[in-house]
Amino acid sequence: MYYQPTVSRNEMNEKTMRFLERFVKRVKGNPPGVCPISVQLSFLQSARSQTCGKCVPCRDGLAQVESMMRNILDGKAGMSTLNDMVELCHIIEDTADCAIGYEAARIVLESVDLFKDEYLSHINHHICLPEVGQKIPCVSYCPAHVDIPNYIALIGEHRYADAINCIRLDNPFPTACAFICEHPCEEKCRRDILDSPVNIRGLKKFAVDQISADQVKVPECNVTTGKKIAVIGGGPSGLTTAYYLSLMGHKVVVFEEKEKLGGMLRYGIPNYRLPKDRLDQDISAILSTGNIEVRCNVSVPDDVMMEEIDREYDAVYFSIGAQHGRKVEVPGAHADGVYSAVDVLNEIGCGNIPDYTGKRVVVVGGGNVAMDASRSAIRCNADEVTVIYRRRQVDMTALPSEIQGAIEEGVELLTLNAPRAVEVDEDNKVIGFRMQPQIISAYRAGKPTVTDAKEDTRVHPCDIILMAVGQEIYSEPFAEYDVNPKRKSFDTEPTTRLKTHKKYFAGGDCVFGPSTVIKAIGAGKVAAINIDDYLGYHHKILGSIDYPVPKENDRTHIGRVHLTDRSARERKHSFDPVENGMSYDEAMQECRKCLRCDHYGCGVVEGGRV
Amino acid sequence: MSVNITIDGTLIKVDEGTTILEAARLHDINIPTLCYLKEVNEIGACKMCVVEVEGMDHLTTSCNTIARDGMVIHTASDRVIKSRKQMLNLLLANHDVRCFSCAKSGSCSLQDLSNEYGITESIYEGNEAKIPAKTENPFLTYYPELCINCQRCVSTCHKVAGNGVLHNAKIGTRTLIDAPFGPDWKETECESCGNCAQACPTGALIAKNKKKYQPGRTEKVLTTCPHCATGCQYYLIVKDNVIVDVEPANGPSNKGMLCVKGRFGSFNFVHSPERMKYPLIKGSDGEFRQASWEEAMELIASKFMDIKSEYGPDALAGFACSRSTNEDIYMFQKMVRCAFGTNNVDNCARVCHSASVHGLAMTLGSGAMTNPIEDITGDVDVIMLVGSNPEEAHPVVGMQIRQAVARGTRLIVVDPRDIGLSKQADIHLKLKPGTNVAFANGMMNVIINEGLVDEEFIRTRTEGYEELKEIVMEYTPEKVAEICHIDPDHLREAALMYAKADKAPIIYCLGVTEHSTGTEGVMSMSNLAMMVGKLGRSGCGVNPLRGQNNVQGACDMGAMPGHFPGYQKITDEAVMEKFEKAWGTTLNKKPGTYATDVFGAAIKKDIRGLFIFGEDPIVTDADQHHVRKALDSLDFLVVDDLFMTETARLADVVLPGISYAEKEGTFSNTERRVQRVRKAVTLDGEMRADTVIFTDLMNRMGYKQPRLHPDEIMDEIASVTPSFAGISHSRLDRMKDGLQWPCTDKKHPGTPIMHVGRFTRGLGWFYPARYIESAELPDDEYPFILMTGRILYHYNTRAMTGKTPGLMEREGHSFIEVNIADAVRLGIENGDLVRVISRRGSLTTTARVGDKVSECETWMPFHFPDGNANVLTNAALDKYARIPEYKVCAVRLQKIEHTDNYDEWSDEWPSPDNLQ
Repeated sequence: MYYQPTVSRNEMNEKTMRFLERFVKRVKGNPPGVCPISVQLSFLQSARSQTCGKCVPCRDGLAQVESMMRNILDGKAGMSTLNDMVELCHIIEDTADCAIGYEAARIVLESVDLFKDEYLSHINHHICLPEVGQKIPCVSYCPAHVDIPNYIALIGEHRYADAINCIRLDNPFPTACAFICEHPCEEKCRRDILDSPVNIRGLKKFAVDQISADQVKVPECNVTTGKKIAVIGGGPSGLTTAYYLSLMGHKVVVFEEKEKLGGMLRYGIPNYRLPKDRLDQDISAILSTGNIEVRCNVSVPDDVMMEEIDREYDAVYFSIGAQHGRKVEVPGAHADGVYSAVDVLNEIGCGNIPDYTGKRVVVVGGGNVAMDASRSAIRCNADEVTVIYRRRQVDMTALPSEIQGAIEEGVELLTLNAPRAVEVDEDNKVIGFRMQPQIISAYRAGKPTVTDAKEDTRVHPCDIILMAVGQEIYSEPFAEYDVNPKRKSFDTEPTTRLKTHKKYFAGGDCVFGPSTVIKAIGAGKVAAINIDDYLGYHHKILGSIDYPVPKENDRTHIGRVHLTDRSARERKHSFDPVENGMSYDEAMQECRKCLRCDHYGCGVVEGGRV
Repeated sequence: MSVNITIDGTLIKVDEGTTILEAARLHDINIPTLCYLKEVNEIGACKMCVVEVEGMDHLTTSCNTIARDGMVIHTASDRVIKSRKQMLNLLLANHDVRCFSCAKSGSCSLQDLSNEYGITESIYEGNEAKIPAKTENPFLTYYPELCINCQRCVSTCHKVAGNGVLHNAKIGTRTLIDAPFGPDWKETECESCGNCAQACPTGALIAKNKKKYQPGRTEKVLTTCPHCATGCQYYLIVKDNVIVDVEPANGPSNKGMLCVKGRFGSFNFVHSPERMKYPLIKGSDGEFRQASWEEAMELIASKFMDIKSEYGPDALAGFACSRSTNEDIYMFQKMVRCAFGTNNVDNCARVCHSASVHGLAMTLGSGAMTNPIEDITGDVDVIMLVGSNPEEAHPVVGMQIRQAVARGTRLIVVDPRDIGLSKQADIHLKLKPGTNVAFANGMMNVIINEGLVDEEFIRTRTEGYEELKEIVMEYTPEKVAEICHIDPDHLREAALMYAKADKAPIIYCLGVTEHSTGTEGVMSMSNLAMMVGKLGRSGCGVNPLRGQNNVQGACDMGAMPGHFPGYQKITDEAVMEKFEKAWGTTLNKKPGTYATDVFGAAIKKDIRGLFIFGEDPIVTDADQHHVRKALDSLDFLVVDDLFMTETARLADVVLPGISYAEKEGTFSNTERRVQRVRKAVTLDGEMRADTVIFTDLMNRMGYKQPRLHPDEIMDEIASVTPSFAGISHSRLDRMKDGLQWPCTDKKHPGTPIMHVGRFTRGLGWFYPARYIESAELPDDEYPFILMTGRILYHYNTRAMTGKTPGLMEREGHSFIEVNIADAVRLGIENGDLVRVISRRGSLTTTARVGDKVSECETWMPFHFPDGNANVLTNAALDKYARIPEYKVCAVRLQKIEHTDNYDEWSDEWPSPDNLQ
């Protein structure tokens, strides 16, 4: 038999692929609170659509799994259905020829395990677990649950001061977050189903650029309660707690061992990302409530004993952060010229800018601190700056924009190289960094691991090594206050209250390890409310704003406005801020893109906000 | 500002901010809705209200779209109609269309709209999971297969009732309402208020009462709820002369809301088989026998005449019924004054708010709530709630306080117990019972020291400030904290919060009045408000929440030993002359005996004949044994009631009266609002209208009283009572919101806020009150304080609520709240039987262990015969108002060990009698 060959235009597949782009967007835009079994069912339907129809287990088996899963989803099935489904999946995994079949079965099995409680709830109670139920994506993904749709609407009406006060109802750091928030709110922005997420952080930046936060009056405090709360550590979490407690009428004393307030915002994040004068605007607004006493350069327990704090305060909030830089314990790690990146950034934050002229700098690590350190090193006039990371660039935990910024400024990335030793001269001075080349390898816990390549180690010559391989909580002085001996973090209830010390609360990095500022802020607010509750009150945080009427959705697909940076050539010579703001037109266009999920979506329904 | 829009070709001008739907409805243009509930549920979910707006690409939900100037709107275009039909098709596909068996048939919005749009059956097949119904709650049911997920019930529970127990839940992709009506309904926080069912547009969430009738075949009678004094307006739904249901009306104090008692507990008792139908006379054997009205009335008249002639008129007395109408009470006091010839007439305000009546009359000149409910729960900055648990005792007021708190009003709770609202209070002062005067003096001490007094107000509108100030200065926060067992910081904060707020009402209740220093407690409240100028203006005032539906009216109508109707003093000669002229007889000039003093007088034989109208003092009054002894000492006791009460059992003659649903009249609610009560049913039996009974007895005792219809009685009231001069039934029937006295002439609009510009008294008086301890304090022998109070599900003696089985199922037995630390010490566990002993008696009840009450304090409801708290309470009386100290007495607790004979009486709850 003869088939005449033709040039295939593959038109249908291309159309399918174009469609799939929308499909993938839709899947990515899965809103928070959707029943996980219904998500799995739609996965299974997609998987089944891919069967070629050859093998029985895939062709007929997946169809049976789907119908069993639907019955479970609808609350009609008993335990036997789940058992039958699991058994059939094992058989499909065992017998299917290709990944379309066996991988589908494997993912179902994995997900049954992952969402066991949800399955049992459907089977035993014919109802989803209580946490199932959609939420406003941006508000619920924001750890501080800031009322994002409303502040965007206020910006759209040019009511910038109101927008700042709207943010402050949940987050007293509108400026700091305008500069450096990792904006988890944008992750699930529903606009992404249409085109791309609203640039929420950019809009916040636009607002604080129109009127500085310290010019916007904070709400009036409640009358004084006569209660006094100690906040140990004046970073974002501690100051957030202090702010809300002071609005409730409590007196707060913030103990800060450094010279100034701000914690990592001041001493960790370089000025070019968050200018100190802008941070001061937030801090002075926070302090303007009038109930907060700040005691800088005071270390607890060195200068003030815990006994004194225990005696004189009605409650205590630990927000000591995770400020100690880790080092990789390789030979030579204590050589002259090896520093913790966090310590160096801290010094820079204090204004002690090192001179790296003529120096070759190596930064070890792949997180945001590594990027901050390498970009700072460039600004300290280093000859060359190399980031050495044991995995690939895509595996780096730093924000892609930070990596991109570093590269633009001349930072070189040397990936897939694991530290082995610091090479030193006879004076114990750094002369190079010895690395073991790696190859990317099998997945473990959802991430590909690396293994040593069958290659010899290499030495990268350098004079300075900045270790940016993580931070530690320095909790030793507080060891008796529910500090986990291994993680060195405070063990708390979800309310931020310590497990055994009832008048003590803790939040921020010193509880969950080094993380984002907005998470620390979120914890700070939760702590304030629970400290108030512990003291026997339920003080309201007032300051209501008259919000604009939501406008109808603009369904036109519009590209996302990205914030640009100043040119790398120019910006790399100073610690001046690098990011440009939005123009008025850009800001208004972004405001119009908000779909008002708080109004048109589940936000108007009980339990549908956060 | 207004905007011009065009709807279906008509040019319309509406206020800015009006939705398209409201604009259309204002001009009688019909836009259908299902999920819409104004200001409660404006979520645009059902899409029935969609309209076409020119220039907008998509159909718009009119319910939540604000009309903008120049909009051109089409409400019935083909596109709109087609879309609405499809919505109905989609809803009906998953709606179990079984209208014949659905109680909502005929009043179902889905049914109505399907008919209107010609859809008899969905073009789609249902595809949603089937979920079982929740049916265990005795009042309410949820049928998921009828639910259209409009969210009206959930929003109502959260935003209107403010209870927040209805939630959305999911099963896969389907949303359902997680209604707490299943087998664990009693353990949930659901109050069974039924406002959710009222909001449901279909038969999904429905009151079980609806099953009893079809809406088309009933009559609706607008009337006033007979439970607490909130004065909720509702319709009695009458089918074939039987009340089958209640539907809320949008009254001024209830705004379309009702509580569980009002909705479900206000008509079963009317038709109760236990209603008395014939007069009864007690024979020499002590048994009652049926008698004719003639015989019974003649016996009463002759007995009372005998006593009067032998011992003088002041050997007779009458207790009026605070649950009855103004017209009844007016005639009752007239009977006592004109026919008995004595001022020995009183009402049960004596045991609840007499302290308010006396106290506020002394300091302000008028013993009533100063501001309306709406005014003190609407736009206010701070609410200070003292000794009041409105969520249970005045639930619809409680709902409005919850709404205020949700809107951002700060709340100060001053109460010895953790009441429900203390969980939402900015600050809770959990003070020791009986220390209100010290608390108020402490507040004023802080206010003076912080320079927050309103000097202008004090100078121009009050007197006695300096004397009070001198006393108050002794009450430093630290001293008060020690007396009240509170944190001095809490006191300071509460004082600052209250004083600094612009609008801050004091709302108080029996926690202030029911003490041996209750009147001084009340006057301390007015001292506090006057000191900061928070009287005589909106959002402020001193506001006693009155107890019974018409206890305000009972006082207003002169059922008081010293006052004629309208608080006109009998000691005022001009007043006396006026009434003698109006009533055409010579009146007794001697002030009468307070109800609580009648018991002592009876034992001393100073009072020998007593007519009790609708009260049950054996159950409700302090120190039950003392009351029983007093009633036993009487020569002749007449009881006019609906039921054979504990008190009626002691009577010589019992007369069957009629209930609020069988008569015309008026009630005055707590905010002085006179509202209509209307006859809904006529029942079989020989019961007589109470005014007929009183008129008959007056005539038989020699006072010529023509028989008057209730509206004529109100005209007579108006003619002799200046503050009621403008009130008549016909005027009330024309007014939507009743009339708040003072209403001094036919054109007077009534007085929502009292003491504006000038106190009724002239100058407000600062009463110099010092803290005096409660009469009976705990000691080694009786180490606990016992407080008493009400619970949500019952009213007083349960004469009414006890006839509704669901209420009894929810709460049917007596209990005592004990602090967990005390319980541990005494080895008492939650649910254990305990014996409670005071100097006056003892009872057995069940312990509820927790932290609602503080250590060394306990609390009991007084509703239940299986452990009636009034066996224990102390009848120590207030020097001004003669109110007993229900809120503080000393008791001892004993755990009852579970014995072998426990099983013998475990089926029937142990009665206190067989345990003593």
